This record gives sequence, C-alpha cells and structure tokens, in this order.
Amino acid sequence: MKAAVLVAAFGCLYPTQALAASTDVNKPVMSGQVTISAASSLTDAFIALGKEFRKLHKDLKVRFNFGSSSTLVAQIQSGAPSDILAAADLISIEKLVAMGNVVVMPRVFARNTMMIAVKPGNPMSVKSVQDLTNLDVVSLCGKTVPCGVYSASVLARSGVVLSESKVTRGVDAKSALGAVISGDADAALIYRTDVLAAKKTVTGVAIPRSINVVAMYGIVPIRGAHNLDAAKAFIDFVLSEQGWKILKSFGFEHP
Amino acid sequence: MTRKTTSKRRGVGSETPVFVFVGAACALAFLLLPLVGLLKRVAWSRLIDSITSGSASQALRLSLYTSIGATIVALVLGVPLAWVLARVDFRGRSIVRALVMLPMVLPPVVGGVALLGAYGKSGGLIGGWLYDVFGLQLTFSRSGVVIAEAFVALPFLVIAVESGLRSVDPRFEESAAAMGASGMRRFWTVTLRLLMPSLVAGVAVAWARALGEFGATITFAGNIEGRTQTTPLAVYLLLESDPEAAYALSFVLLAVCVVVLVTMRDRWMGRRS
Repeated sequence: MKAAVLVAAFGCLYPTQALAASTDVNKPVMSGQVTISAASSLTDAFIALGKEFRKLHKDLKVRFNFGSSSTLVAQIQSGAPSDILAAADLISIEKLVAMGNVVVMPRVFARNTMMIAVKPGNPMSVKSVQDLTNLDVVSLCGKTVPCGVYSASVLARSGVVLSESKVTRGVDAKSALGAVISGDADAALIYRTDVLAAKKTVTGVAIPRSINVVAMYGIVPIRGAHNLDAAKAFIDFVLSEQGWKILKSFGFEHP
Repeated sequence: MTRKTTSKRRGVGSETPVFVFVGAACALAFLLLPLVGLLKRVAWSRLIDSITSGSASQALRLSLYTSIGATIVALVLGVPLAWVLARVDFRGRSIVRALVMLPMVLPPVVGGVALLGAYGKSGGLIGGWLYDVFGLQLTFSRSGVVIAEAFVALPFLVIAVESGLRSVDPRFEESAAAMGASGMRRFWTVTLRLLMPSLVAGVAVAWARALGEFGATITFAGNIEGRTQTTPLAVYLLLESDPEAAYALSFVLLAVCVVVLVTMRDRWMGRRS
C-alpha cells in the first residue's frame, strides 16, 4: 500500500521525504541498467556497494563512471547518460542544481578527510604539512577538482605555500595518489580513504583535525534519468544501514 | 584492380558505385564534424589574449621546446634504425619492425607506465642507477617530457625514413661508390639528398605527434605548471577552470597539425608511384 502510494508520488514529482522513506518498503522488481557517475575516491567503496546491491536486484545492471566530480558534472551537463551523481563535494552538485539537471535535494552519505601519503616507510620523514615544503615534488589534484580544493584549504590553514614548480597535478584523486604509488612524487595530499585503499604501497601521515577539512559526499538522482526507480533504490541502499557498513569498511566517516 | 586503373584513365569516379561515395562522405563528415564543433567554440576575438595569458603561453612555450627536443632525439635514433630496417636483411626483421611500431598503437598511458618501469627513480629498471650515478631524474622533469614525446613520435619518423630509403634508387649510390666515394661521403652527398623529402616529412609528422602527446607525458613526467605541463595537459585541466583558454589552445594544436599534414600530404609513408 505504502509502496504503491510512493510509486505514484514518484511519477509526478520527486519529493525528498519519499526518497528517504522508501528505504524500508518492499522494493519493486528492478531491471535494465543504472549508470552511476561517482567521484574517483569512491571507486572501491562503490564497486563493493554495487556488488551487494546487485544481490538484491539480480536483473539490474549497475554501471559505474568514475572520475573527478568536476569532470562528472561537465559530462552530465553536456548530456552524458547518467542516473546518479555521487560527488566528493556539494558544490559540484549545486552546479547541477543551478543548471536544472537536478531537482532533488542531494543527500550527504559520507564524510572524508585529507591525509598525506608518502612512499612506504616514509623515507623523507614527513611528519606534518609544513614538511611538504622540503620535498622535490608533491602530487595534488587539479585546482578545480574537489580534492584539489580541499588540499588548497589544508595548505592555507597550515600557512604553507607550495611553489607551483613543485606541484604535479593529477586529473582526479586516484591519479594524484598514483604519482606516489608508481611514480616518483615524494608525497600526495589526498583523501584518507584513498591512502587506506592503497594499503602498503604508501604510508599515511595524519593531518591534525584543527587544520584538516571535512569533505562531504553528496548523492542525487539526475533529472531525466533513464532508470529513476533503480537510481532511487541505489541511493536508498547507499543511505541504508547495510550501505553505511560498506562505506565504513573503506574508511569513510558518518555524515 | 583493373577497375581502379581504368577509372583513373577515364576520369574520376566513372565506375565508382554511388554507395561508395555516400560512405566516403559519411566518413569525411565523421572526421570533420568534431573539428567544426571545436572551431565554433573558439572565442576568436579573445584568441590572442587566451593563448598569451599566463599558464597557456607557458604551456605553449614548453610544448615548443620539448617537442623540438623530442624530434631531435627521434631523428638521431630513428635514422639509423630506419636504415637497418630498410637495407639490412636479417632474420626477424618484420618482428623488429612491428615492435618499432608499437608506440603508435599502444595506449600512451601504458607507454607512460612502461617508461616509469624503465626510468622511474624509484623502481625503474635503470632509473635508480641513472639517479645514483649521474644525479639524473627524468620523472617530473623537462627531459622526462622529451623522453615521453620521443617515445611516441619515433615510429612516425622511422616509417617515413624507411619508406624513403626503400625508394632511393641504389644505382645512384652504386655509381657514387664506383667513383670512389667513401661510405660516409656517399651517405651525406647522395643518400641524404635523395632521402630529404621523406626525412622532412618524417620530422614534421613526428614533431606534430610529439606536440600532441598527453598520456605518456602526464603518467611519466607528471603535470607541473611551467615544467612538465605541456599544451595538451593544459587543455585538459583548463577545460574545467577556463574553457575559453582550453578551446584556444586546442585550436592552436589543431592548426599546427593541419598545416603539417597538408604540407606533407604525399610525402609521409612514401609517394605512391
């Protein structure tokens, strides 16, 4: 009954409350495919989420498109077929709201912080953000990418100025870390979850909370989604207890 | 085959079926439409401002220097290689030729990863040694950009020079030898002269390829403003922060490539005889 009312409500408008409330109702059978554009820092967590979600909806194909949030926004604005955007900041989603690509309030589903990643064993003995100035090359994200904006805040809060001639910029969070893992960058200023996901290939150096930032991850269905029902079901799954457990296991913090 | 020769003799397309023309037109449109789309986005009135502003002009200048450097590297390494491939008969020559062409089809990012595997300071095959002995670090340096660009550009030069050498009539060299010219002299006065058109074309196309290199560069040499951020890298990053500058730089790269390919149109890959 409740489900029927909700489905009817979905038909004409997409109220946020309905989206949240539908978590516990019997789900209709989902089929077809759902395309999820997600920030690259969500790569591992979302692949795991997708796997569990598929167990609930066996006929549904879940496809991911990972990239920097700002790239994903640009893709969606130019008409890339995407049902969901999961971004590493809320500004990216606001851009879509401003363009009319999103008509639902985004839900914050996780938080993240920044961390310093160095070569295994920390050969250059980096202990703080200040120590980054002693290194030859530090890898950051592009200036307009969320993780690039966050790292700029961390540097500013620490009063550290890194000369651009020492900064290499990755196109997204994963590639910024890649410069340390497989390249010759001495350190990266990157999401804590990416450092954890990289396991032993890098060593993490924590940044004190007082100068760190809180990255808010927002998720929202895209207007004109091909598979809105499946999109909403996935978002509900991400926000569910089970979804949170998965996100937590990848080091994300509760919103 | 006979059809081709007769149609040539009787004038263009007298026996070419209509659907072939339709297909050809579609193919041409497929190739040209995106270029028109790019041209439409360029803000012509501010073109000069866009490409002379800070990071854009820095990227253009860096691209110019590194692509010329890469072309020189390709020239020095490529001519002897092309010579051996064209003139020396040895077992496995076709395999070697296929390997030489590898960077043309290999995804450039994979090329970058491979370069890291060879010249990376930490974990490269000889990169650590280069650093310890000579203090030479290729990653995140301009020389690294040159290496990455030369890696992808080299095959283009080798192809052109090899096919050029094959079309050089050996009788000219033989008669020079009969007149007593030494091997070195023969090369400079006879072979090189006859080879010149192919060599110029190979250099031009290799340079254009080096200029446009993205994947291997960003993977191997990184993306440091003013040091390793070449024009294609700047285009990619500016696309989000300053699209106008990104389109302006794209136009510059496009214009250079068009000029190179149009001037060299018949020479690269050898003239059809």
